[in-house]
Amino acid sequence: MTSIATQQARAPGAAAAQAAPAGRRRLGRKGRERLAAALFLLPDGLGLALFVVLPMLLSFLLSFFQVSGFGSYEWIGVGNYERMVNDPYFWSSMGVTAKYVVLMVPTLFVVSLSLGVLMKQMLPGMSVYRTALFLPHMLSLVVVGLLWKFMLDDQTGVVNKAGGELGLGARSWLGDPGLALYAVIAVTVWYYMGYYMIIFLAGLNEIPRELYEAARIDGAGPWTSFRRITWPLLKPTSFFVLIVSTVAAITGTFDLIFVLTDGGPANGTAVAMFYIYQQAFVFGEYGYAAALGSFLVLVMVALSWLIFKATKGGRFDDE
Amino acid sequence: MLQHGNGAVPARGAPSRRRFLGGTAGAAAATAAAATPLLSGCGGSASADGGTLKFWHFYDPKASDPAMVAQSKWFDQLIKGWNDTHDVKIEPYFVPGVSYQGSKMVTAFAAGAGPDIFLLSPGDFTRYYNGGILADLTPHLDDGVVEDYGTSLTSRTVDGKVYALPMEVEPLAMFYNVPVWEKAGLSEADIPTTWDQLLDTGDKIRSKTGAAGLVFHTDPGYYQNFTWYCWMWQGGGEVVDKAGNVAFDSKGARQALALWQDAVEAGIAPRTLPAADDRITAFTSDLAGMWQIGIWEVQAFKAGAPDHEYGVFKLPVPPGGEYTTTLGGWSFCASTQGANPDAAAEFCGWALGGMSDESIDRTVEWCTGVKSDISPRTSALERGAERGGYDSWAMKTFKEDIFPGGRAEPRYPPIVYKAISDAIQATMLAGKGVDGEADRAAQTIDAFLKSYQGASLI
Repeated sequence: MTSIATQQARAPGAAAAQAAPAGRRRLGRKGRERLAAALFLLPDGLGLALFVVLPMLLSFLLSFFQVSGFGSYEWIGVGNYERMVNDPYFWSSMGVTAKYVVLMVPTLFVVSLSLGVLMKQMLPGMSVYRTALFLPHMLSLVVVGLLWKFMLDDQTGVVNKAGGELGLGARSWLGDPGLALYAVIAVTVWYYMGYYMIIFLAGLNEIPRELYEAARIDGAGPWTSFRRITWPLLKPTSFFVLIVSTVAAITGTFDLIFVLTDGGPANGTAVAMFYIYQQAFVFGEYGYAAALGSFLVLVMVALSWLIFKATKGGRFDDE
Repeated sequence: MLQHGNGAVPARGAPSRRRFLGGTAGAAAATAAAATPLLSGCGGSASADGGTLKFWHFYDPKASDPAMVAQSKWFDQLIKGWNDTHDVKIEPYFVPGVSYQGSKMVTAFAAGAGPDIFLLSPGDFTRYYNGGILADLTPHLDDGVVEDYGTSLTSRTVDGKVYALPMEVEPLAMFYNVPVWEKAGLSEADIPTTWDQLLDTGDKIRSKTGAAGLVFHTDPGYYQNFTWYCWMWQGGGEVVDKAGNVAFDSKGARQALALWQDAVEAGIAPRTLPAADDRITAFTSDLAGMWQIGIWEVQAFKAGAPDHEYGVFKLPVPPGGEYTTTLGGWSFCASTQGANPDAAAEFCGWALGGMSDESIDRTVEWCTGVKSDISPRTSALERGAERGGYDSWAMKTFKEDIFPGGRAEPRYPPIVYKAISDAIQATMLAGKGVDGEADRAAQTIDAFLKSYQGASLI
C-alpha cells in the first residue's frame, strides 16, 4: 500500500521533470561544489559586510561632516582632512605610532620565530611550555593591562623588586615618558609572542624533515640548516606574520594603552588610535575622528602594499 | 561501510550536506536580520519602550563596597518615590563609572539612544549644553531654590537659566597618613601652610619612610585638571579672564605648573599613583604620606578602613597667595533628546529643586547619610549640621575650614581642557619648561576662543 502511494506521489514530479525545459538543468558536481563553497562563505561574508565594510563606508562618509556628537551634522567637504594636516597633536601621535611599529614588529617577529624554532625541538615538557607561552593570548588585553600595571608599579611592582634584588635602581616604567612606550612594547610582545609562535610552528611543521636529515648528512650545522632550509621555506609564514603584526601594532593595542597609561605620561604613549578615540569619545568630534580613522586605514593599506612589494608577495626573492 | 564521496548515505537522523547548508544560510540570514534591531535597542532611551524614562547613574547596586550599595539604594528610593506619585515612570540604569565617563554616554547620545535623565560633572557641562542636550530646569524649580543653592549653581547656569541641579559639593584637600607621619617624626604641629613647607614635609616623609611624600594625580584627564586648578587660582592665575580673554600664560599658572614639576623632579611626588590609585590600600600599606583627594574619601575610609588614622588639612598657599580649593560634584540633568524632556526636567526639579522638607531631606541624606559631601544648598547644609552630619572631625574640618573659600570646578570645553592637560603633563612628567608650555597652552586656547561660540566659560 505504501509502495503504491509513494509511486503515485512520485509520478507527477517525474512527469514534471520530463516536461521541464532544457534550460533548467541540474547543477553538475563543480557547480554544486561552488554553490556549497558560496553558502559556507555566506555567513562570514554577511558578517563582514554588515559589521566591517558598511561601518567603514559610513565612517568614510562621516569624515566629510562636522559632527557635534549630539545629532547635528554639517557637510564641510574636506575640512576635516585639512584640519588633520595642520594638527600637530595628530602628527605627534603618528610619530609615536611609527616608533611603536618600528620597535614592536621586528622584536615580536624575532622573539616569536625564536620561540617557534625552540618549541619545534623534541625536548621533554615542550607541550607544557607551548601552552604556557600561548596562555597570555587567551586573556583579554584589559586583564593583561591591569596585571602588568601592578607588576610595573613604581613602589610595589615585582619588576622593580626584581630589579632591586639585582642591584638595579627602581624605575617608573609607566610614569617616565622615556620608558613608558618601551614598557608598553614589552607587554605587547609578551602578549602576542605565543600566538605568533604557534603560527611559526605551523609553518615549521610544513617543512619536510628529510631536508634537515639530508643537510645533516652533508655536514650542515643548526645555523646553516636554519639559514638554508628553515628561513627560505618559512617565507610565506613570515610574510603573514609581518602583515598581521603590523596591522595589530597600529590598531590592536588601544585597550592595553588605555589601561596601562591612558596615553600618558605627557602623551608618550598616545598612539594614533588613542588620539582618534579621544577625538571621538572625549571631545565628541566624530567627523574629525572618522577622517583620522580613514587616513589611518589608508596608511595601513599603503604599509601592507609596501611589505607585499618588499617581500615580493611573501617570496622575498625571485628564486 | 559507508564511504566518503558520491554515494555516501547520511546516517539516519544526521543532517545531509544540503540540509546543513540550507540551515546555515537560513541561520545567517536570520542572524543578520535580527542584528540591526538588536543593536539599535542597546542602551535604552525612553523612546525605546514607549514612556518609561531612563535615569543613568554610576552607583553600582551590586558593588562589594557597602557605601556604594547604599548610594545606589538612594537612587532606587528616589525613583520609587517619583513612580508612586506620577504617571510617567522612571527606571534606574547603572553604567560602570569608567564607561559612564568614557565612551558610553557620548556614544548613546550620538546614536539617539541617550538617557532621559543623567548625572553630569561640571567639566562636561559646556559640551553638553553647547550640543543642545541639556533641558532648562528653571520652570520646575520652586521659588527660593535658586537663592538656596547660591553659588553652587553658577557653573550650571546660562543666561539666568538653570540646566543642572547639583546633588553635592566635593572640595579638595590634603589627606595625610598618621602612621607614616609618625614614622617620619612628624606631628599635627608640622601641618604645612605654605607650598615650601608642603614640599619640605613631603621630602621628609619620602626620605625617612620610603613612602610617597606627596601625591598629586598623575593620569592625564579631566580629573587631573580638576585637582590642579586650585593651585593655579591660589596664585591669582586664571585660564580665561572676566572679559573672556585667555589669561593662562600668567604667574599663577606658571608657579602652579612649577610646583608639581618640582615635586616630581625632587622625587617627593611619584610619577604614577601608589597602589594603582587605591587610596585606602596606599594609606593602610604605608605607601603614601600625603595625597590630594576630595571629601568623598572620608566615606571611603569609614567603609574601607574605619580604624586607620588619617588627617585632613586645607591646601597650603604660595607666598602672597590666597587660599582656595576646587569644588567638584555631580548634578542631575534632563535630556532634550528623550521621549518626554518635560517630564525628565520635572523629575529633576521634583527631586532636588523643591523647597519642601522632602526635597531638602533628599540632599541631606545624600550628603551626610549615604555619602560624605558638603551640601550644595544652604538649607540642606544647615539641616545636615543640625542632625549631626558634620560632627565628625573630618566632616567638621571640611565644612568649617576647607569648603569656605572654595571655587566651583570650571566648565571648559574639551580643547581648552586638553591644552591645559598637555601643559600639566609636559611640565610635571616630561620635564618641559614651564614658560614654554604655559605659552603654548595659552596660544592654543586663544586660537580656540577666537572662533568659539557657546556658553560663557566664566
